[in-house]
Amino acid sequence: MIIPTMKSSTPVYISGYGGYVPKLRLPTSDIAKLWKGSGSGPNEAKSVANIDEDTTTMAVESARNALSMSGLCDIGAIFVGTESKPYAVKPTSTIVAQALGVHKTLAADFEFACKAGTEAMQVITGLVGSGMISSGIALGVDTAQGRPGDNLEYTAGSAAAAFVLTNNSKRSIAKIEASTSYVTDTSDFWRRQTESFPRHLSRFTGEPAYFHHVESSVKQLLSEINLKPSDFKYAVFHQPNPKFPIQVAKRLGFTTEQIQPGLLNPIIGNPYSASSPLGLVSTFDVAKPGDRILLASFGSGAGSDSFSLLVEDGIMDKGPNYIPLTDIINDNKEIDYATYTKLRGILK
Amino acid sequence: MSVSYWRLRDRYYRIIGSICDSCTYESFPKFNTCPKCKSHDISDKEMPNTGKIISYTLSYESMPGFEHELPMSIGLIKLDNGVNIVSQLVDSEVEDIKINATVKAVFRKINADGNSGQIYYGYKFKVINA
Ligand SMILES: [Zn+2]
Repeated sequence: MIIPTMKSSTPVYISGYGGYVPKLRLPTSDIAKLWKGSGSGPNEAKSVANIDEDTTTMAVESARNALSMSGLCDIGAIFVGTESKPYAVKPTSTIVAQALGVHKTLAADFEFACKAGTEAMQVITGLVGSGMISSGIALGVDTAQGRPGDNLEYTAGSAAAAFVLTNNSKRSIAKIEASTSYVTDTSDFWRRQTESFPRHLSRFTGEPAYFHHVESSVKQLLSEINLKPSDFKYAVFHQPNPKFPIQVAKRLGFTTEQIQPGLLNPIIGNPYSASSPLGLVSTFDVAKPGDRILLASFGSGAGSDSFSLLVEDGIMDKGPNYIPLTDIINDNKEIDYATYTKLRGILK
Repeated sequence: MSVSYWRLRDRYYRIIGSICDSCTYESFPKFNTCPKCKSHDISDKEMPNTGKIISYTLSYESMPGFEHELPMSIGLIKLDNGVNIVSQLVDSEVEDIKINATVKAVFRKINADGNSGQIYYGYKFKVINA
């Protein structure tokens, strides 16, 4: 039932990464004021895409940054992992390809709730590792939806993260040592075709969904590559709220210090497919050569992908145009709930 | 509208202009005959994505289809290669939009044909030295 740990036959490296977080922040106290009279959500604020931003625009911003850092141009795959495609039918990935000026490439949109981005990383690892392509871009992007008044409305944020994966070791930021994936049919969260907002079974999102899948996939990875939590300098877990990643880290034997650099939910919420990938961007920003990073996503429905990444010398040279994620996140502006409903087209 | 926009998508997505292969004159949008030396040896050229505001206007009267974006700021920008371009300015506070402010291109939605039609994407600029 468990898929064995996946290793490419030839090495695959990450040679560029980029994160994008829209400028606007909605404090969760503003959401609580409307629906409950007072209080706040589990996170302080969530990032909100502006009226002229969507999954495509955020994908392009993060991909441009990642590509610029990598210095590569022979891109053979552009895979966008998202559950908020602007078009139900028409790929997001071809618009990203056109905006990057890349045409001789595979292009596809991946879907798996919040883990579509890490899935794109695994597929590109396979394509690069087998020699079919030399480099590709994997993206996790979402303008996360939450029904007004629903618990998800507090956490559902917007962001994008992109990674350039390549067989070229020259500018390697990190080597992909191995990854694994674990899935079951678990209906914790879903959205039916033509519906605007997802639904969820509240108590189901914890034990049988998030914890079972993340723990299964991480334990499988660690046992197959014969490493233990203390062999990792950092760990990044999917962040549906600020509590779950801290709890799952503890259960698996990781410390809060290990997950701290990648823990973004308290300030931007849960940007679904971008959640754990953006945590990896934030962790790369502080990592040094020789650091090992664990990345574990979670996607409802349900599954978890986990990776072991070994940071290499390329991390020391991010290129002249690189803007640290902290600077992007700190360039923000608070909005109120009324502005949020106007921007996100919730008023109908 | 949609077919003509499609033909020009590289202009809007990547700010593709022209460079004259004879005298290196650059301009945006594209040209077929060099306005400087009359040469027809012209190549496509991606314009730089940074520049400075040389003039701007704040509009409180909307164009049809842009009612939700008021007030709308429009800037005349001198790109780093000296080429001038007119663009909407976004994610920038009104007090930061001033002459000589450094701006950077961003990829945004320009408009859409209602809820079922096409979405038009393209460049806008934001102030970065605030
Ligand atoms: Zn000329």
